[in-house]
Order: sequence, then C-alpha cells, then structure tokens
Amino acid sequence: MATETKKDTRTAQQAPTVTLTIDGQEVTVPKGTTVLEAALGMGIHVPTFCWHPKLKSVGACRMCYVEIEKMPKLAVSCATEAMDGMVVHTDSDLVKRGRKAVIEFILANHPLDCPTCDKGGECDLQDLTFKHGFDDSRYDFLKMRFTEGAVHTTFDDVRIGPEIILNRNRCILCYKCVRANKEAFGEYDLGAFERGNITEINAAPGREVSNPFSGNLVEICPVGALTNTDWRYKIRVWLTKQARSICPFTSSGTNTLLWKEDHQQKIFRCTSRRNDDIDDGWIADVTRYGWSYVMAEDRLQTPLVKKEGKQVPVSWEEAIDLVARRLTEIDDTKGNVCIGGLINPQLDNESLHAFNKFMRVTIGANNVDHRLDYPMLPAQGDTAYSILSSQPFSIADIDTSDVIVSFGSDMLKEHPNEYLRMRKAYMFRQAKVFTINPYAVKNADIASVDVVYAPGTDEIVVNAICLAAIEEKLVDAGRAAGLKDKIVPNSAAEAAETAGVELDDIKIIARSLADGKQVTFLVGELVARCAEREPIAAAIANLNRLFGLTDKGQVARLARYANSKGAEKLGLTPFPAPEVKAKLERIFGGWPENEALTTDKMLVQMNKEAINAGLVVGANPLLLYPDREFARECLERLDFLVVCDSFETETTAIADVVLPLASWAEYAGDYVNLEGRTQHAEAAIKPRFHSRPALEIIEQLARAMDKPLFESADERRREVAEVLAAQAVLPWPNDYFEVSFDNAAADSEYTIPVFVGDDPHHAGHLTEKSPSLSNFVSEAYVEMSIELAAKLDVKAGDSVRVESEAGKVIVPVKVSDYLDTDAVFLPRNFSSAQVNSLLMRKKRVNRVKITRVAD
Amino acid sequence: MKEIFKALGNVVIKMPQGFYVTFKHLFKKPVTLDYPRKKKPMAPRYRGKHYLERYDDGTERCVCCGLCAAACPADAIYMEPEETEKGERKARVYEINLLRCIFCGFCEEACPEEAIFLGQEYEFSADDRNKFIWTKEDMLVPHPRKDNPFKKILRRVRKVYGTPEATR
Amino acid sequence: MILTEESVKAIKEKVKLYPQRKSAILPALTIAYRQVGHLSDEIYQEISRATRIPYVEIAEAATFYTMFPKAPRGKYLIQVCHNISCALLGADSLIGYLEEKLGIKKGETTPDNLFTLISVECLGSCATAPMMQINNDFYENLTRAKVDEILEELKAKA
Repeated sequence: MATETKKDTRTAQQAPTVTLTIDGQEVTVPKGTTVLEAALGMGIHVPTFCWHPKLKSVGACRMCYVEIEKMPKLAVSCATEAMDGMVVHTDSDLVKRGRKAVIEFILANHPLDCPTCDKGGECDLQDLTFKHGFDDSRYDFLKMRFTEGAVHTTFDDVRIGPEIILNRNRCILCYKCVRANKEAFGEYDLGAFERGNITEINAAPGREVSNPFSGNLVEICPVGALTNTDWRYKIRVWLTKQARSICPFTSSGTNTLLWKEDHQQKIFRCTSRRNDDIDDGWIADVTRYGWSYVMAEDRLQTPLVKKEGKQVPVSWEEAIDLVARRLTEIDDTKGNVCIGGLINPQLDNESLHAFNKFMRVTIGANNVDHRLDYPMLPAQGDTAYSILSSQPFSIADIDTSDVIVSFGSDMLKEHPNEYLRMRKAYMFRQAKVFTINPYAVKNADIASVDVVYAPGTDEIVVNAICLAAIEEKLVDAGRAAGLKDKIVPNSAAEAAETAGVELDDIKIIARSLADGKQVTFLVGELVARCAEREPIAAAIANLNRLFGLTDKGQVARLARYANSKGAEKLGLTPFPAPEVKAKLERIFGGWPENEALTTDKMLVQMNKEAINAGLVVGANPLLLYPDREFARECLERLDFLVVCDSFETETTAIADVVLPLASWAEYAGDYVNLEGRTQHAEAAIKPRFHSRPALEIIEQLARAMDKPLFESADERRREVAEVLAAQAVLPWPNDYFEVSFDNAAADSEYTIPVFVGDDPHHAGHLTEKSPSLSNFVSEAYVEMSIELAAKLDVKAGDSVRVESEAGKVIVPVKVSDYLDTDAVFLPRNFSSAQVNSLLMRKKRVNRVKITRVAD
Repeated sequence: MKEIFKALGNVVIKMPQGFYVTFKHLFKKPVTLDYPRKKKPMAPRYRGKHYLERYDDGTERCVCCGLCAAACPADAIYMEPEETEKGERKARVYEINLLRCIFCGFCEEACPEEAIFLGQEYEFSADDRNKFIWTKEDMLVPHPRKDNPFKKILRRVRKVYGTPEATR
Repeated sequence: MILTEESVKAIKEKVKLYPQRKSAILPALTIAYRQVGHLSDEIYQEISRATRIPYVEIAEAATFYTMFPKAPRGKYLIQVCHNISCALLGADSLIGYLEEKLGIKKGETTPDNLFTLISVECLGSCATAPMMQINNDFYENLTRAKVDEILEELKAKA
C-alpha cells in the first residue's frame, strides 16, 4: 500500500502537460512524450520498424512519418516531441505517399525470399508492405548482396551465436538489436559495422553473440535478418497455436508464449508475452530456450521399479500399487514419521498443495520441504532469515527506485529479469546502483560503487554500513540508539578492514541509503545458500531498521525458483508462517505432531535410519544439494526411495521406484512469482510418453492408500486459494538483532574461495537436457579472474583439478575479465561434473585448491 | 396366315434395316477409346496428378514455404521443412492426400518457386487408402529427363497487375 | 602487445580529456594508426583494454571510417582519384595502367610491400586532372610516362 500512495503523490506533482491535435482529436500528454507515443496511446496506428516501446528513439527507419502542420516536411514522429498546439495528421495523402516511398526504399535491397524466410507470416516488413506499400516493384536492377559474387541468390546465412543466424541481405538496418543489446541488456557483442550501403549488423569481430538475453534480439527483429536455430525451418508460423505460459526457470514468472502444433503435439519455440509489471517484454535465454527439454527424446517414458537390483519398466498401476503398499507397510511397522518428502519448487500450486496434504494428512508426518539446495536451514520459523524471506517485493518498483542495492546476489545468473529492471532504472532514470558481493559479478558495470568483500564477512559489511551511518550522523540518533552495542566491531573503519573493503565506498553507500527517496535492497542467493545465513539476515534487519528502508522502499530476499514463493505461501516448509499454518490446520483437520524437519534434518535422520522412506518429486538433490557425498550417503540408506522426474538423473539411479513426471508445459497450473503474484500457465501439449503431472501422481497415490486427498477439483482449487490468501509476511521485530562474528581462518592448503551457482544460461537440473541451451554452455567450468589464471599458470580451456576437503572435479578453465579477486565460480547444472561434491554443508565458505592437469 | 407374312416381312425388311446401322458403324471410326491400351490426350490445362519440379541441375525447386498448404481449400497438403547441408531450406516431408484433393490448382497458383504443377495424369485408383497419400518421392519428376512439358511456363515473366500510378 | 607503452599512455591521456569515455575512440584509433600503420581486431582489443570502452564500439567506429586501413599496406599508398574530372581525363585507363605496371589489382599490395593501389573519391585537384596522391603528396597532370617516372623514383628511394 505504501508504494501506491507514493505513486499518487508522483502523479500529483507531475511535469507539465502539452495538448495537441492528432487526426482531429485533441489529446493531452505529459511533456516529453513523442508524437508517436501520443498517437499510439490514442489507438491510432502509426507503422514503425525501428521504434521499440522500451528503447530510446533513433528515427532510423523513417516509417513513422506524420504530417505536422506548419512543418515544411513530413516529420519522423518517433523522434518529434509533442508540443502545445501541434496539429498532426497521420493519414493524409502526403503521409501515405511518404510511407510508400519509405517502403520502396527499404525494399530496394531487401531480398524477396519470404518463402524460405522463417519470419514469413509474422514479418513487420511483409505486413507493412501489404498495408502501406506499392503493389509492384519498380526496381529491376541487381540488389546489393553481401556474399561475394552471389548476385542471383539471397542466401547469406551466417551463424553469429550459438542460437542466432544472421542474414545480412534481409537486414533493414533499424538498429533495434544493437540498441537493445546496449541499452537494455548492457551487452557489447553485437554491433553495426562499415557504412553506407554495405553497413552490416554483425557480431563483434572474433566473438559470438551469446549473452544471456540474446534471444530477445531475434524476437524484436522486424524482418528475418536474425533468426533462431530452434525455430529454423521447422514450421510456418500460421500453422502454430500459442499457449500462454509462464517461465518455469526464473522466479519472476516472466510471461511467455509457447508456440505449438496440435497434430504433431510439438512445441516449436517460446517467445515473450509482454507484461510491463513483470518483464517489459524481455525474457532471458534460459526462459526462451529452456522449453526444449520437454521435446527431448531421452525423457523417462514409463515408471521404473527396481527388481533384483535393476530398474525395469512397469505399468503405472503396478508402480502406484507398489509405492502405496510399501509406504503403508513402513507407516505400519516403523511409524509415519519415517517418511520424508522433498518437492521441487518449480511445480505448480496445486501439485505443491496436494503434496503437502499427502505428507501431512495421508502420511501424517511433518517432514516436508521444498528448499533442496540450501544447507543448514534454521530449525525455527521466526528467525531473521525467515522474516527477510517473507518480505513483499515488487518488480515494477525497481524502476522508480533511486537507490538500488543488490547484496550477495549474482543478479545476472539468478535473477536476470530483475537485473534488467535495475539496468533500466540506471539507464533511464539515473538510479544509483550498488552491488555488494563476495566476488565480483558481471552486472557490476552499472554500479556506482561495486563492493567486493572477503568471503565469509557478509554481516560485517552490513554492519560497516550501519556503523558508518551512525558515525557520520546520517541517521536520527534516536533511531540508532542501542544498535552499536549489539553489533561487532566497534567502528566502521575496523569493520571495513575486517571485510577487506574501502571505508569510503561504505560511506558512500550509507549516505545514499540515508538520502535515497525510494530504496530497493535486494538480497540474493549468496546469502540464502550460506550455511550461516542467520547473522547476515539479522544484520540486514538491523540495517533496514536503522535506515527505515521498508518505509521508503523495499527490502527483500528474492525467491529463486519459479514457485519458491508459492511453496512458501502454501506452507511447504517445516515451519509455515503462523496464519498459513492456522489455515492449513483447519483444512487438514489437525497438524502432525512430530518435530518438523527441514531438508538437512531429514537427510540427517535418513543417515541415522530414523527416516526409512523418501518421496522426492521433480527434484535432483544429488546434483543440487550443496554436499554431494552427504546427500548420497543419506539417500542410499533409505529402505524405499520414490523419485518422480522427467529424466534419468543421479537421484533416480538410486531410487527404488522412478515415476516419469510431466513437464510444466504439459499441464495447466498456477505459479506464484517472487512478488506473490499468482499466474496461470496453460498446457501446450499433452504429457509425452507415459509421463503424468505431479498432481495426478500424488492423487493416485493417495487413492491407492485409500485416503483420497480431495473430493473434487473444486475443493482442491478452493483450498489452494484459501491458503494463498493467508498473510505470509512476517513482521519485522521492534528491536535490533544481536550480531556476533568470529572470523574463521582459512585452511592452509585450500585457499581459493569457491562459489557454486547456476550458469547464466541454465537453471536447476532440467535445462541441461535442453539442446538449445547446451549450445551455449554444455559442460561445467571453473570461472576465474585473469590474475588468478596467471598465478596458477593456466589458460582458458585448460583442464584443471579443483580439489576441496570433500571432493574434487576436473573441469576446464574459463577466464573472465570482470572477476578481480581470487574467488572462483563453478556452475552446478551439469551432471557430467559433480560440482557440489566440492562443498560441505556445514562450511560457511568452501575453499579449494586448483592444479593443472597434465596433458 | 397374315401373321406369318407379317413376321416374314419383319425378317426381310426390318432386320436389314436394323443391321444397316450396325454395319454402317463397322466402317466408321469408333467414338470410344481402346482404354487402357490407348489413352486420350488431355487438354493442355487439364489438372491431374501433381508434379514437383526440379531445377536444371536436379535440385528440387520446392523450398517448403507452406504457401500451397495455406492456399489449399481442402487442407490436403502436409509438409515438414528441413535444412540442407548448405543451410538452405527444403522439404523433408511433402504429402498430398488424394482423397481430399479437389484438383483446384490453387497450390500451383500459390507456389512462388514454380515447383508444383498439376499434370495430365488422371489414373490413381488404388486398393489401399494409404496409397492415396502421395509423398515427395511419388511426385518429384525424375532427373535427368528428356522433355519438360512445363519448360515454357517456368521462369515466365510475371505480368504486372497494375502500375504504381494506378494504385495511387 | 602491438601497441607500444607510449601509445597506450597517450591513449589513456586522451580518455581523460573528454567528459564521455566514448569520445576518446577516434583519437585513440588515430594514435594506434600512426604507430602501426593499420588497424586490426587485436588493436581494437588493446584500445578497449586501455580505455575501458567496449570492444565492439571501437570496432564499429573504426570500420565506419574508411580512411583507417584495416589491413597492412605497402610503404607507398597510391590513391588515384576516380571522380568525374579525372575520369573524363582518363583516370580509369590510368588505374588500368598502374594495375598492369605493378602487377596487382585495385585494393591490393605488391608482394614486396612497397605499393598499395586504391582509387578514391575527389581529392580536390580537378584543375590538374588526372591526379593521384601517394602518401601525403599530390602528383598531378598524369600521363603514362609520368607515372613510370614517379614509380621508378619511388622504387629507387625505397
């Protein structure tokens, strides 16, 4: 609500407006609006090629000509600011002739290869030529061709990126792709070279276009100059239908369209469905290309049951019966608390709720968690971290913030969509951006101050900001009272020294936080995945209280997966928020009595053989849990392990029963994004092979155990809606938290701090199976700074052995220029390298040593 | 007695009269054809079985653009494109369902590459419904071949249906 | 490293002169061109590293300006004007003659790296057409004999 009132005051003191007449209608628009935007706002069609609502205008294509009275010539409406008293005609004869001429000029060198062009059918140039152009060509000279000597062929396809094919002949030089790349994504791998009639858009010499947003360039191309590999020569656009879907990989829930064909039951591509509240029309490549795992041929086809040590295909009935029988058996002999349930927070609301009900009612155990890849989760429900995680957050508010801090978050890799918002605020509103991370991140190029602190000193950095604010008297003394005694160390200078950061930087951040009118403070996965996340969260809570950030903006830990927030709101944690728990208790008719177990606790209990059966839905804990050996040991001790997944994974390999799971594109479901916004994703195709949606599997299982979960689908939906309506936001406490710190010394042998996370082109364990995404990155690597590579005497591409106390992997080196400390990064998405075996769950900072592998 | 003469008269007069017509046709050119040994030449614009044309060097003209399928009022055409080694576009699957085809010739008109033509052949009875689905292999003209009946219309100069001035 | 430390230092100095980093692209390219004689992808990369301007923007600017050569050139750059006045007075045949004489095509360099032949737009010496410019000097009112003479002279000098 606070944000809404803020917006209202902004409208009240808005900049002056101008009134102009367009096609005989008077319209009043804010000063600074272009004539084009004013006309489009009135619903008047003005054709454009180079204009994009989310980019600055350039006026490159001249298609948006309008006639403005008292102007000597036609005006380019996208670059003409609306002024008081303007009289604009968008449909006069002069304008029509102007448009015809522009189309004719554009077509002068444009090949007429629409039959082979993948854009055919959805091409802006086709449409606008049909609508505004001449019926026939007056042009009978040879057209300009880029391929030397090929005057009679239009074929000029060059691959400029793993997924992008460029045809320079078709390019009409609207510069939309180059502008989007630079303005919106901050990437510099595409450019316009040469000049005159040989101007070409191309990848930078010797490079390829492989940034994590490169798919958008294809989507905004008004002609077929940039086309996608996954859509290349597959199907004509008019034969496809679209399913309105939601991104299942990122937590923002960016809106997408899945282009499908019903007879073949195939998905062909995924494009954005602009929703200004969430995604601005840009989607990350992991969203755009991730769908292709659905069409992979190596998906699990039938249920598998382990018989005499080998997994053999069986029918669904047999598998469900077996699972129901064994679970009942274990329930009877050892007690219901001996069954543990883990679910992937990428599944839809109803599946999650059904799983919750199955575990807590049908089985009657409190062992349910969706946080599979976080070590050492808190054993209570109301800690600083839980409060921080439950805080409300709005993506659109990033736009209007004037100070944005991202703390402990590799935004580009974890939250690409929010990163673009940050970038937009920086580009268009000159917002101050600060990044505070234990290793240098790529998105720091927009940061006015980029703080890289020593790994393991997270809370000290936050404390340093608080201390600096107190010392500099930036905050009200009354507010600050009592904080200094509760936190360590005593002065900002000391804190800065401990964390290895510049005191001046800390002071600048403190000043900005104090002065900022609207502040967005984002906390990311590097905090969430930290084994000691509580003190960090407590320090952030203190910071929030000191600066009053919630009153003038937002402080939130961003949820990581597509439905993490939903799982949290639906009470899929051991300790749901009080109101959620009350609702669930009423729906379930009681609450299991045993001690609630988090993922870690469950694994520990498995290790002690206190949990004998495990139910893992859609997840791969062996790949993602940050301690592979421990997870393996625990899961292998189970008497009975059921795993539902779409592919054969490490976890399914040790399971007793494997059930093929349908992907998100194969059933309709609701997802809650990180803002708490519930969105619906339509089913694109029917479940492939014999896979089934999680909801169906769970319901069948419950029915086989003679305890049906829901009487009707209506009841199920009502329950989900009821639980989601409960208030899940925990209030901030009224006092400062105590924050202590003891600096753990680094091991002598293992010196290099290692961070494990998602590759920018991957998320979770499923994207590895997507051929398109594998074109970008298909194997694990160790990313290090130029200096570290020089120190270790390795080059990019060399194989190195990365060793920690827990394990070792052999991976190639990737050298990145933005990294500037010793810390290295490894992606965890690839089953070929067991990166999580380097980690130990109790360690706050995992350290490794790196040696070159002899050839 | 009278009846006998009447009958005799019929035999003597009416029968030769009747046979006269028959015998007359013995010496005339027959109207029917000795089908299937002989076949009637079809009109030049007859629309029979489809052909897929080739370029002179043998490559297929069809680029699998899908315009014929879009133009087809009976929805008889199904195609799937693929990428050649060079990266160009060609048809991997091209099927026409004869049972649906109404031989309207819209596909021929729609084709921007002048790849599909309706030929002169009209014999396509079969004993299995599946045989009524023509695949690309069935329709592609052999290469090399001696004469090309469509040579004169290939690469024709497209007529302009109006000058730019006329549309203004 | 292709650029000398001096050049890099000069480029870094240039960056400080402008309120916007990007403005330093052309001065930086000029410095590199003066030192090396041509530009290349490696040079763009080195400039990018020195100025912290994205590599692609430097490449864009460099390719936009045709007077920055992108490949090594001979010691003498022969630029023959092919615009209207010179063309009327036989620039085309002159280019043909030079091609024949040097044994190269327009745009190429002789194997001994001495001459590079290109044709350019008007050099502003129409009164003395046909003309050509070799490095920084104009050679005017050309005839075949005169061209022979000039080439001999340059060869002797080299």
